[in-house]
Amino acid sequence: MTVELYTPEFVVGLIVLFIGTIAAAFPRPKNYLTQLINLEIPGWGLLLVMLHYNEALALFTFAAVSVLSTYIFVRVMQKKEGI
Amino acid sequence: MIAVYLCTAIAVYAAIRVIAERNTMRKLPFLNVVSFAVTGIIAFLLPHPITILAAAAYFVGSTLESNAIASTWAGGIRKP
Amino acid sequence: MNDIVMIASGILILAGMTAAIFNRDPFDKLISLSVLIAGVFPFIVERGFLDIAIATALIAPLSTIFTLMVCRRVQV
Repeated sequence: MTVELYTPEFVVGLIVLFIGTIAAAFPRPKNYLTQLINLEIPGWGLLLVMLHYNEALALFTFAAVSVLSTYIFVRVMQKKEGI
Repeated sequence: MIAVYLCTAIAVYAAIRVIAERNTMRKLPFLNVVSFAVTGIIAFLLPHPITILAAAAYFVGSTLESNAIASTWAGGIRKP
Repeated sequence: MNDIVMIASGILILAGMTAAIFNRDPFDKLISLSVLIAGVFPFIVERGFLDIAIATALIAPLSTIFTLMVCRRVQV
């Protein structure tokens, strides 16, 4: 199975993945909520890169597990900060 | 053929308005406009019968999301 | 035909990412993130993964709703 080299979703996905990872590593107002929202940006970039390689089942599984991990982080933040 | 271009123009214009607006309350109607335009793009993009189901699913999901943001911003559940 | 639509979707993704990084209010960040998610879906549909598009469109707003549980409005 060969795929063509530079489809638009591959280029845009890599740009979103790199810049979103840097933004999630160094959040500007340094609190947990900003870091949690920035963490969702490279998830969509990784989903675009998976779309380039025609991985349909991986894409479905990654979308479901991303929502589940967001719920777990929200529960941890509620328990830690007492919101 | 012209309909998908019209939806594209509306989506880009509304996205620019969302980014450039300063007040949070004025951003929310243009977020709905972006969602409706992307629904039109999804419906017109491929000549396939299942496409309308994907457009309906995206319509339901994005409307739920933007209304949840608006409801939480407007006060939501008030704590005593 | 589809090239202009794909370029416009890329513009939506990059503009939403830039605004989501550089905003400081959590609600502004969530609105910009919603613009980014709106730009992703024409790429999924253009590849032909319609079932994946249906499933992702129905479970992607749950992430935003879970994030809104810890957002509080600062000013009254």
